[in-house]
Formats: sequence, C-alpha cells, structure tokens
Amino acid sequence: MQITFWGVRGSYPVPGAATVRYGGQTSCVEARSAAGDCVIVDAGTGMRALGNKLLREATAPQHHHVLLSHVHWDHIQGLPFFSPAYVGGTRISIYALLTAADELHQVIGGITRHEFFPMSLEAVPAQFEYHQVEPGVGFDIGSFRVMPIALNHPFGSVGYRLDGDGTSWAYVSDTAPFDQVLHKQHFLAGPEALTDEDRDALGAMREALIARLVGVDTVVYDTHFTPDEYERFPHYGHSTPDQALEICAAAGVRRLVLYHHAPSHGDDQMDRIAAEYRDRGAAIGIDVVTSCEGMTLAIGPPERGAT
Amino acid sequence: MKIRFWGVRGSFAMSGREFLRFGGNTTSVELVTEAGQRLLIDLGTGATELAKALMGSEFGKGQGTLPILLSHTHLDHIQGLPFFTPFFIKGNQIRILGATPSSGLSLEATLQNQLAPHYSPLNGLENLAAGVSIETITPGETIGLPGFEVVTAALPHGSMWTTAYRITADGKTVTFLSDVEYPAIDPAAGARAGSPIATAIALARGADLVIHDAMHADHDYDQRRGWGHSPARAGVAVAECAGAKKLALFHHSPDATDDMIDQVVARTAARTAVPVFAAAEGSYLEV
Repeated sequence: MQITFWGVRGSYPVPGAATVRYGGQTSCVEARSAAGDCVIVDAGTGMRALGNKLLREATAPQHHHVLLSHVHWDHIQGLPFFSPAYVGGTRISIYALLTAADELHQVIGGITRHEFFPMSLEAVPAQFEYHQVEPGVGFDIGSFRVMPIALNHPFGSVGYRLDGDGTSWAYVSDTAPFDQVLHKQHFLAGPEALTDEDRDALGAMREALIARLVGVDTVVYDTHFTPDEYERFPHYGHSTPDQALEICAAAGVRRLVLYHHAPSHGDDQMDRIAAEYRDRGAAIGIDVVTSCEGMTLAIGPPERGAT
Repeated sequence: MKIRFWGVRGSFAMSGREFLRFGGNTTSVELVTEAGQRLLIDLGTGATELAKALMGSEFGKGQGTLPILLSHTHLDHIQGLPFFTPFFIKGNQIRILGATPSSGLSLEATLQNQLAPHYSPLNGLENLAAGVSIETITPGETIGLPGFEVVTAALPHGSMWTTAYRITADGKTVTFLSDVEYPAIDPAAGARAGSPIATAIALARGADLVIHDAMHADHDYDQRRGWGHSPARAGVAVAECAGAKKLALFHHSPDATDDMIDQVVARTAARTAVPVFAAAEGSYLEV
C-alpha cells in the first residue's frame, strides 16, 4: 500500500513563489493498495490534478471512492474540478459525516448551487452516491478496511484508519488537541470554559483516537500550527506537531506525517519545521516526515537494509 | 489612479513553478486613487494576499474602510472572503456590493450559504467582527463610491449573469469585463444597440484600460463555446470598437502556463493596434 499527497495545505490554496516546493493546494491524499484499489481521502483543491491523472490512466469509466473528513471548503472545493465527474459511466461514492440537518447530497451538492458553480454536481454525467459514516463503525472499500474516528473540529470531523496489504495508515485531519477546547456545533469567538462533561468528552475522544491508532504504521496528522500560533488561535480547530507527536507516541506509531500546513507557512519555514520535528521525533523513536505535494510514501516498515 | 492585480487566474487557483510570472491566485483587483481611496473588485484567493498588506495599515487597527464590488458569486470570485483578515478586526467598515445572482437568491443569502456552519467555521456573516454591509446593485445603475464613480452593466456568463464595471477616478477610467461571453463576437455588432457586445463596448468607450476575460486561447474557443468565457479576440474587438487605450487580458485559464500566456499575448498583439498585455500579479501600475 502507498499514499500520495495531492494537496497538503490547510484553509485555502496558496499559489506563489513561497510554496513551489511544499505545494499550495489543499487537502487531498490518494491511497493505493498493491492490487491497485484506490481510495481518495478529502476533496480539497489537490483533487483537480489527481482527477486529471486518473482520467489519463483510465481505459474505462471508474468507480471512485472519496472519504471526507468534513465539508469545510478546503476539503471539498476540488470536487467540482475532478475531471472524471464529467465522464459518463463514472461512479463516485462519497463517504462523510452528517453534521448538518440537510442530507449529505444536499450539503455536498450545495457547493455547486447555481450561485457558486456553473454545473451542478447533480447534473454531471458521473453517478454520485453518498454514504453517511459513523465513528467506530467500520466498512470495506475493495481490499481496504476503513474505520472512521471522531475528531475535535468545529461542527465535527472524522479521521480514518485504513488497513490493507497487511499494514495500515491513518488520516487524522482536521483536529484540535483534546485538552483546551471542545468543538461543538456553534461558533467560537474564542476558547470557552470547559465543563466537567466537556473534559470527559475530550478525554474519551483522545482515548478512542489513541486506541484506533495502536499498531498503525503511518499517521497523517493535522499540524497546521506552530506552538506560538496555536496559543493565539486555540479555538480554530487545528493542532501542532508537538500535539501530534504526543498522540503518536501514546499509540506507538512508527511514522508521523505532518500535514495541513498553514497557508502562511512558506517553503523556508516548512524546511525549519521539518528539520526541527524530524529531530524531535527521532529522539522518541518516531520517524517524522513533512508532507509535500506530489510525495508518495510506501506504507509499512521499511525493508531490511533499506535506508 | 493606480491598479494592482492580486489575482488574475480563472476558475481555479494554480500553484507551482509554471504559474509564477502571471500568478496563480483567482480574481482580485485593487484600485487606488491619488488621494489613497481604495476599491476592490472580487474576493478570489488573490484577496488573501491583499489582506496581509492591508493588515499593516489602518485595517490592522480597525480603522479601515473598503468597498468591494463583486462581478458575480462563482466560487473563484468569492473563495477569499472567509480568509480576508480585515473582516476579523472590529471597527473596519467593509461594503460588499453586487447584483442579485440570477437564481434569484439574494446576494446576502448566497454569501451566508458560503459561510454556512458545515462549510466554514465562521458560521455566518454575523460573526465577522468588522462592520459588513451587503448592498445590492441593480445593473445599469451608476454608483458613487468615495473617490470613484462606477457605471454597472449586466453581461451574460454562461448560465448566469455577471456585472461589468466602468470605474472612473482621477480623470482615468478602467473597465472591468471578466467572466463574460458574447453570443456573437462581431466588431460590427457594436452598431446593434442592446447586444451584449454593444453593452460591453459602451461600458469601455474611451477607457484608459480595459480588463477583459481571456480564459480561452482563440484556437481553443470553438470547443468551449457556451462555457461563459471569452477568447482573447473578444477583448480585442471590444477595446478596438470602444477606442480604449490599453487592453489587459485577464482570467487566465488554470491550464495556461506562463509560456502559454506569453504566446497568447504575442498572437493577440500582432492583430491589433491597441497596446495589449496579460494581467499579472505584481506591483501597482499607473493607469
């Protein structure tokens, strides 16, 4: 199994000279099994280039599977630009958490309402199917076993553990840490005081996440913020690499991938973050890799003798 | 009057080395008068770059005022809204002006949908700390903004309508014609009052600068007719018939690399006496 990063940025796409090496497109990761089964995780702007590649390689219309962590714009706005959607015979299965009163097809189809986009997703040639996921309720996609995991993010978000080919990886984005702020379904102008109930809910969410990550080879984690930035915006729903390392250490994860980079973090700053956390990870036995657009990682322990 | 292009790309923000000279951000154009009054057209991703610059000025202190004209509400023209940091500073006064989208849903309801809680943690316009007013334009009307006079017109954009703007300040005029497609690109059509291209020509009459949709290279246009965008030659037809002094090709295709845009400019310049250039992210230009 391998994963390829098509978009690694959080919030919004950032073109320009400062992002050419790490990439400017938003969240989208492609997972491939050894047999060629494909699962796409998140539909940010990175999905446009992925779609173009899939279309070039396809000899016949495909059935694509897209797991959504949540439906904030940076995780869905690539969907209308996914070129296979415009090919008749294509099937696109979307898996997502229902966080609004509307049905999934209304929430996701809503990004292409007349005011926003020239072509409605309901009208494109591809056949869309929507599947509601529930944290803790696993399902299969081809040879992949998929387990949704509840995360701490405004209006709700899920991570996914994917097992296949005798190994596993997990996508843990977007999420805040599990101590200072509990995200619910209302607007937070700043951190709110936690009740005992909130603390219990956060503790339970953290324990459930760690339990799901035990034995996972590679964890892709929302590390949007530097520690300084987190102190200023603890209620924005994102984590730091330190918080990701703490979770991965508790679960005994082999490798942590830093992901969902803040749009303000240019390549030079990303180099410094990558170097700093490579060292911090090494000190506690975790291989820390910083994702960049176009990167492919083989999942599973490196073969003996490999460097 | 000065102008700065913060986003010139159509449809989709493109990052990477092949898009560095013209820039990959989606539509956002700033106009500034000699007296320092400011006007913004569209809130594509380019607006996030402008936002960073503004936060170092009175907008960072909650003392900024800014009118923003929207051409229409397709995502590439509003996707920078939730990240335009002056909205988050109490005291700033920001006006968003645009026509009612052709679905009939109000402009305010449309922007509320963009910030709906499942799509954005902002959970709605009411949570923006700045004073924000959403003001509906009736295309055809002339609007007075501090330092600027703005003439508006509706033009067809595929399945919807876009609002085009003729903006005059300091005795100079800029006409903004992005996301437009004319049923017929016929220079003679300027004589037929009421046709979309005649409306565009009237709006561009004698302008110092015409900014025109040039999403398609001329040779690609036949396969993309009806998608709501123009080939480069449409801007030439409008600028020539209007007696405009300069033409900026704009709203570049996400597939157009820097080298491809160079070729479009060279081919376009060879067929017209109107000075032509491709809009690029960069510094302030004197109109």
